[in-house]
Amino acid sequence: MKHFEHVNAASFEEAGRMIKESRGTAQAMAGGSDLLGVYKDNLLKTYPETVINLKQIPGSSQIQAAEGCVSIGANSKLTKVAADAAVKENCQALAEAAHSVASPLIRNIGTIGGNICQDVRCWYYRYPDSVGDTLDCKRKGGKTCYAINGENRYHSVFGGMSCGGSACAKACPAGTDIAGYMAQLRKGDWDGAARTIMKYNPMPMMTSRICPHTCQSDCNQTVYGDSVNVHGVERSLGDYILAHADQYYAAPSPEQETGKKAAIIGAGPGGLSAAFYLRKAGHSVTIFDQMEKAGGVLQYGIPHYRLPKTIVDAYVDALRKMGVEFRLGTQVGRDITVEEIEKSYDTIYFGTGAWKQPVLGLEGENLTEFGLNFLVEVNTYLKRAIGNEVLVCGGGNVAMDVALTAVRLGAKSVKLVCLEREQEMPASAEEVARAKEEGVVLYNGWGLGKVVTDETGKAAGLEAKRCLSVYDEAHHFAPVYDEADRQVIQADTIILATGQRVDLDFLGESFASQIRSERGLIEADAESYQTKKHGVYAGGDAVTGPNVAIRAIAAGRTAAAGMNRDLGTGAAADCAEGKLQEQVKTVTKEQPDPFLHFDPVGVDAAAANKLKEVPLGVRSLTKEDAETFDMETALKEAGRCMNCGCYAVSPSDISPVLVMADAQIVTTERVIPAADLFTKELTVQHILAPGELVKEIQVPKQKGITHYDKKRVRDAIDFAIVSLASRFEVEDGVIREARIVFGGVAPVPYRMEQVEALLAGKAVTQELAQEAAELAVKDATPMGKNEYKLYMMKDLLCTAILRAGL
Amino acid sequence: MERVAIRINGVLRKFIIGEEEGCVKPEETLLQTLRDRLNLTGTKEGCNHGACGNCTVIMNGDAVASCMILTADCDGAEVTTIEGLENPRTGELNTLQQAFVDHSAFQCGFCTPGIVMSAQALLNQNPEPDHEEIMEALSGNYCRCISHYQVATAVEDAIQRMKEER
Repeated sequence: MKHFEHVNAASFEEAGRMIKESRGTAQAMAGGSDLLGVYKDNLLKTYPETVINLKQIPGSSQIQAAEGCVSIGANSKLTKVAADAAVKENCQALAEAAHSVASPLIRNIGTIGGNICQDVRCWYYRYPDSVGDTLDCKRKGGKTCYAINGENRYHSVFGGMSCGGSACAKACPAGTDIAGYMAQLRKGDWDGAARTIMKYNPMPMMTSRICPHTCQSDCNQTVYGDSVNVHGVERSLGDYILAHADQYYAAPSPEQETGKKAAIIGAGPGGLSAAFYLRKAGHSVTIFDQMEKAGGVLQYGIPHYRLPKTIVDAYVDALRKMGVEFRLGTQVGRDITVEEIEKSYDTIYFGTGAWKQPVLGLEGENLTEFGLNFLVEVNTYLKRAIGNEVLVCGGGNVAMDVALTAVRLGAKSVKLVCLEREQEMPASAEEVARAKEEGVVLYNGWGLGKVVTDETGKAAGLEAKRCLSVYDEAHHFAPVYDEADRQVIQADTIILATGQRVDLDFLGESFASQIRSERGLIEADAESYQTKKHGVYAGGDAVTGPNVAIRAIAAGRTAAAGMNRDLGTGAAADCAEGKLQEQVKTVTKEQPDPFLHFDPVGVDAAAANKLKEVPLGVRSLTKEDAETFDMETALKEAGRCMNCGCYAVSPSDISPVLVMADAQIVTTERVIPAADLFTKELTVQHILAPGELVKEIQVPKQKGITHYDKKRVRDAIDFAIVSLASRFEVEDGVIREARIVFGGVAPVPYRMEQVEALLAGKAVTQELAQEAAELAVKDATPMGKNEYKLYMMKDLLCTAILRAGL
Repeated sequence: MERVAIRINGVLRKFIIGEEEGCVKPEETLLQTLRDRLNLTGTKEGCNHGACGNCTVIMNGDAVASCMILTADCDGAEVTTIEGLENPRTGELNTLQQAFVDHSAFQCGFCTPGIVMSAQALLNQNPEPDHEEIMEALSGNYCRCISHYQVATAVEDAIQRMKEER
């Protein structure tokens, strides 16, 4: 065991104060029979510096019977609770549950307070450090729940619970609730899935095609095989949304109109995202863009074969139908000044991107072309003369687009030179692979020396110099060259795709000076996207420098939420603000199922479903390279999503009884109903504030007969596989009221109100017991190796009902 | 400086809790103190997780797993180990211990001190337990040599002998 300090607390309040003041370095210990095991096995990442002993607190282990209630001090030993006459008198089930814990040796140590706060018993969570290593599972803040694809016979049969969010949502710059929409798809709920994704991103039909999909790199399926093909599923969902545009891009009703006016400068992904959310909230929205068509990089930067322009146009059209006004071909700064816009609109969003060519200072740079301009030209006219030997400079996704576009324009040879080694290239691995597949020759690890000309002064090649390293130790861009190691790469066309700059000249100096950063970008708060100027927001490349579309979309969304708030009309912005937070899952009437589910058969498929691609040689400049899944395949792929969370069950025998009995838990700060403390979140510790300690448990006198029944492997020591806390009020063989709470079947004690409703008013019969048992397991989602638990549940429930009728 | 006083087999032992040489470390378990500090090695370390019962001692009248208790938490406690059952002057085994010997209620014997202590705690609290109560009281003590039947016989015989002694 690691070393800690030992302190005896004189009162719960003193212990709580010490814990609060310790800022997470002190931990309270009740009986210790759970905590010492955790310490010994080195299970956790952090260890307490101080352990505060609660056992010496005077009067903390008393059990007192009052009128209609028994109060149990938190430090009461389980042996005492099990034998206490008042406990038995008020709630027999509690005495039975206490008696069922572990063995007498532990019950003589363990306390009721400690029991309800104990840590989970999942064998992955508890995997001891001495055997190999502890497992950094999801519950401990790690990535995955090993039980999903592993040994889950003692795990939940009603789903898992959210635990620190999922890796995919965390990796997505927009924080998209990917696992959430995948779960809805698995239920066949395309509409619900559409509404979920659109809270984060109104244009999944586009991001699914162009996003580098960082969500896939951390996907826990990569432990077993391919990552879930998130973009494939997203694409089907995006296409579904576009096919039902009337539904998902509905104009606000006349009553929803706020009369407030928002101006958006730049019709790129960020502006189009902000426009959607602002319009949806009922504001009137005008988008200004200097180009003839809306879409920004989506329209002009991304090649048709990756993102067909019909899709961009359809989205823009949908916004138009929502009532968004587009003022295209309007260059702000020339056709209208920012000041004029400011005067006529209540709020402004800048999403003007990064379109300017950087000057590299290369000898012969005037003989090169600018990659983005090249793409704009090709995307606009769909044809263009191309040289025989094309050399693209740059290692990012734009460079890949330029290279592939050149191939498809018919260049005889396309080469690509970049500083980075292949695995360091900023372009996504898929894009690099595709470029190579189509014959692009990579020159990795070479920097730009100078342009070499022929006798007529035309470009004949590029003299490249060896790049030894690209980044310094702090991972800042700081290329080191071997100036002596040079080679000439032949080319008659040299296209530079080595970055883009932000141009803020259109703002005019007086406006620019108010919102410009030192680096020449627009300065906006990284959380809210608000600039220093009130009512003015900005996001996307104009704020961050060149980056991915989804980041701009997220910025547009978050800015729209802030703008909506500023406008003060009280309209609701129907979008997620900021990143996906850990969702609090609560059992309520509206949300009867608070748990996460996955498909045990689906998650076993190690290979992803892949989009059908146009074969090499038939690919063109205009036709899309890949086909969208049919809906069935999309659902199959959604079935591979593990819906990462914690799938362990709560270990306590006591807490299901306290939920059943409507007990009240008295802490150092308040009185909490048992259902709130034990069923609303994954752990009790999530509900209790730092330093808040359980002092006493008040159990009201139960009407009728209560029992606690438990199935386990061995009759001593073992935790419940399934347990049932029940209460029946029976009169003349008819159940007047029933309370049914299962333990061991879900991450938290699971009360079954629908079973209670079924039983109420019915005479106890074998048939009724059977019916109730079937109803109890109706919505179960066993994980693959624990279906047997359902039989145990049915058996326990049947037996309890029939016993109540005797 | 935190001090704890524990009466162990009738002798008052005082410990200083601390990091210094000779002090009982805050993270030291009662089992470690008994075995490593007081050389009371009759109490065995089995699973070290409170699951096997090999480390059972009687503390304030109850059988407990001494591996799951911090010595620092034991101030004022009264502890009896297997060494505390025999007659301290003559070395004569107590009735329960003798019954175990007479009925060969062990094979390798590793779990026996724990089982004896659990049984002794039961008999102290309830001199005439029935078979069920015996089984229940011993349910936290595991034996891999399957001496359970002989143990039950030994405990039941000890109950008879103690009755006769009274």
